[in-house]
Order: sequence, then structure tokens, then C-alpha cells
Amino acid sequence: MELTTLETVPGKTITRHLGLVQGSTVRSKHAGKDILAGLKNFVGGELKSYTALLNESRNEAIERMVAQAQAVGANAVVNIRFSTSNIAAGAAEVMAYGTAVVLS
Amino acid sequence: MEGLIQIGIFVVLLAVGWFAGRAAEKRHFRELAKLEASLRDILVFNERRLPPGGRFSRTTLVVGSVVIAEDYFKRVAAGLRGLVGGRITVYESLLDRGRREAIVRMKQEARELGATMIMNVRLETASMSEDQSGRAPMFSAEFIAYGTALVPDRRS
Amino acid sequence: MSYENPDVPHEVNVSRDNALVEFLRLLAGVALVVLAIAAALYLAGGWLARQIPFATESSWVGDRVLGIDVAPAGTRDDVQPYLQTLSDDLAAAMQLPDSMTIRVHYTQAGTANAFATLGGHIVVTNELYRLMPSENALAMVLAHEIAHVKARDPISALGSGASLALVFAVVSGEADGLAPRLAGLVQLGYSRSVERDADREAVAALRAHYGHAGGGASLFEVLAAQQHPVTGALPTFLSTHPADAERIDELMRAAADWDAVRQPLTPVRVPAARGD
Repeated sequence: MELTTLETVPGKTITRHLGLVQGSTVRSKHAGKDILAGLKNFVGGELKSYTALLNESRNEAIERMVAQAQAVGANAVVNIRFSTSNIAAGAAEVMAYGTAVVLS
Repeated sequence: MEGLIQIGIFVVLLAVGWFAGRAAEKRHFRELAKLEASLRDILVFNERRLPPGGRFSRTTLVVGSVVIAEDYFKRVAAGLRGLVGGRITVYESLLDRGRREAIVRMKQEARELGATMIMNVRLETASMSEDQSGRAPMFSAEFIAYGTALVPDRRS
Repeated sequence: MSYENPDVPHEVNVSRDNALVEFLRLLAGVALVVLAIAAALYLAGGWLARQIPFATESSWVGDRVLGIDVAPAGTRDDVQPYLQTLSDDLAAAMQLPDSMTIRVHYTQAGTANAFATLGGHIVVTNELYRLMPSENALAMVLAHEIAHVKARDPISALGSGASLALVFAVVSGEADGLAPRLAGLVQLGYSRSVERDADREAVAALRAHYGHAGGGASLFEVLAAQQHPVTGALPTFLSTHPADAERIDELMRAAADWDAVRQPLTPVRVPAARGD
């Protein structure tokens, strides 16, 4: 399954456009990591646990989007976009969407 | 004694959230399935390139949006999950509903214009919970789907 | 090049698990963890409280007798000095540390009860005093309470109780009723092992003071006979100091070498106040 943020894959042509596919997931880190992150607010800098959380979420969202694309018979997803939104303290939704296509 | 009353109220609210919430959700999913079926002929893509050779009398922005809130059961379940960590499964159905509803409404707006295709569709989710006084606010999210509707040129 | 919108499987984005089952599993898991933490804090609270020196404890409390309103009982004012003297003798026999002074209070509470509270204060109610068949039984009560003070049981109960109240406040999100709840906690009953230890110390004190441990078990028989004819209520002393068969057996065994004839029980020297 080819994944790209471009309109198409260079060197290939799209034979069928199969419409919008999306994958989303909402995850949270456990309370301990939340507390540590709260403490980190004093010092600033990267919140490694939240970065990891969002990375996991993003990967899962992509997996789900790919699963939808496979179900409709696509072999590539183009124009992939991400959207992240804050659900509650320490929980975030990551959505990935794009257009499923058949390349040749 | 007041402790017991509080626990009782909590359990009642939880039950109401569970039963009423489940019922509302099922109903919504059924309606969504119906609407999606009736709007199947309007195609949506998030590509920017227009179909080659197509002639359109009009291209215009169409937007569909909805705000959906959680029920009490979801709130408590999400709170528990927040302690332990992991996927918050109770919110997944809420987010799915919202997104699909937003897309359906966008398609409905396109239908009114007589459009057959919507290009460059973008989806956004925004959390609406504001800081209310006291405890954590009820989670609600706004889902918005927007794109450019293509109304085919009837003359061709 | 075709443009189409085949049906997309939406279930991909929604997990299959039954929400209720998952919720209950999570709830059970979290509840277990909270209970484990509460138990650990309970023990820690008790242990930490015992580390507070008695001198500090009594300077905090001063003259206040926590857990009951001490009202002078009846019209007789010679009971309290008698109780105090007896208590002092027993305390000496138990080799209490110098910093611990026991002050006995004699009061009217509507039910037969005796307990030890913070700061070395011991309360004996008129209703209990009146029922004592012998000074030995009375001494058993006093020695038992002194043993609690010696073991720092009151402040330990306060510490454990405070930990529990803290856990409760965190879980429920309310901190309003903490202080009054804490004050009442001192009066709660102790665990079996704590009571057993206090009994053992008391028996040793009786032996040291009277030469034998006779008369101790009679305390419980007399109190049990006080069951209210209508409500079936037992004197409060029995609810805070559960008198199960094991306990009475141990006391009887401790008095096994007591010769009732050659070692008669001492009668109560000062008659009880005429209660209201």
C-alpha cells in the first residue's frame, strides 16, 4: 500500500479513484505519566511520554485508514492529511484521511 | 448516609447514561446508514485535481458540521481509562458518528445545489469543552467537513 | 480513469469490545489498586503515628479528652481519686515510661463503657463502674486501657484513620467532613490482636498488683448480662472490646492458678455515684 501526501505517485497513473478513507483513534496515557508531564510544565521542553502517545496514535490511525483502503480494493492512498485534537487532559484523537486510489 | 445517597445518584446517572446513550447512538447510526445510502451518488474525494474533461457550471464551498457531546457513562469510562492508559474505546463511536454526520450534512448541502461531486474535502475535529466552574466539563466535539462542490454543467 | 465511492467499512474505527464489560473490568482493576494503596497507607499511617513521641502527643492534647464530653458523674466526688490511685498503682506495676501520665476521668455517658484516648486520658463511665463485681474486675478494665496507652494504640488508630480519610477524600473528591470524622475515629474498636496484647499486659498488671489474675473474666459476664430486654443492645464496652469466646478463655486460663478461697477478690472500695 503506497502512502503519499502528494496528489499522485510520481511515475504512476491513477486508474480508479475510490473516495475518502479515514482512520482515527483516541488514546490516553496513564495517570502516572500525566502527573509527570504536569511537573514537566515547570521546566519546559519535550514531553516524551506525550510524543510517544501521539506517535502511537498516529500509527494506529494510519493503520486503520489503510485497512479501509484495502477493504475497498485500493493499492494506494493519496493526499494524506492528519488532524489532531485534544479530547481531555492527557488524551488526544488523531485522525488520518486521504483518498483511496488504484495505481497502475 | 449522604455517602450512600451520593453513590446511589452516581449509579443512577451511570445507568441513564448507559441505556439512553446506547439507544441514542444506535438510532443515530441507523439514520446515518440510511442517509449515507441515499447520498451515495454524491462522490467525495480529498484530491485537488478535478476530473479531466468534466464540465461544471458551478463550483462552490460546501460545509457540514455537527457538535456531539458525550453521555455520563462515556465520561466515567473515559475517566477510568485515563487512569490506566490506552485506547478510549467509548469515544471512538462518538467520533465516528460525528465525522460521518458532518460528511452527510456536507453532502446534503451539495445535494441542494445539485452537485454530483465534492473535491478537496477536508475534515477537522475541535474539542468544545470549555472550562466550566467546578469539575471537568462534559466532553463535546465539533466535527466539520468542507470541500468544493462541483455542479455539473447540464448543457453538455 | 473512474471516480467512484464504494462502501467503506466504518467498523475499522470503532472497537468491537463490549463497552460495559470493559468498563467493569477497568473499574475492578482500579478498585483493587485503590484498596491496595489504602491498605498500605493505613498501615503506614499507624506506624508513623506511633513514631510521634508521647510527650508531643500529650502536649497537643493537653487537658482535652477527645472522643467524649466529660461530664462529672453524679454527686460523689471520691470515686475519681480512687480510680486515679488504682490506675497509678497499676501503671507503676506495668512499668510505664516516665513521660506517660495516665489521667482517669469518671463520667456519665448513658452506657457502660471505658476507653483510652489521646494524651493518656482514660475515661470510665459511671454505668460501667456500677456494674463491677470486684476491684479486680475494675482493675482489669483500667489495666487494659493503660495497656492501650502504653502501646500507643489511640494515636495509631488516629493515624490509620487519617490515612483512610485521606484516601476517601481523594477518591470522592470531597474534603469537607474530614476533621470531625477524624476526632471520632479514636473511639473505634481495635483489632483482635491489639486487644489480645492489651489483655496480656493487663493480666500481668493484675498479677503484679494482686498476686493473681482472678476476677478478670467476670467483667465480660457481667457486661453481657446487661443486654437490654427490649432492644437487645449490649453495653458499648462490648462493641468496642469484642468479648469473643477465645478472649474469655484466655482470661480464664490466665486465672487458672487463682485460688478463690485463699485469694479472695477485693471489693470495690468506693460505691458508685447515684446516676440520673
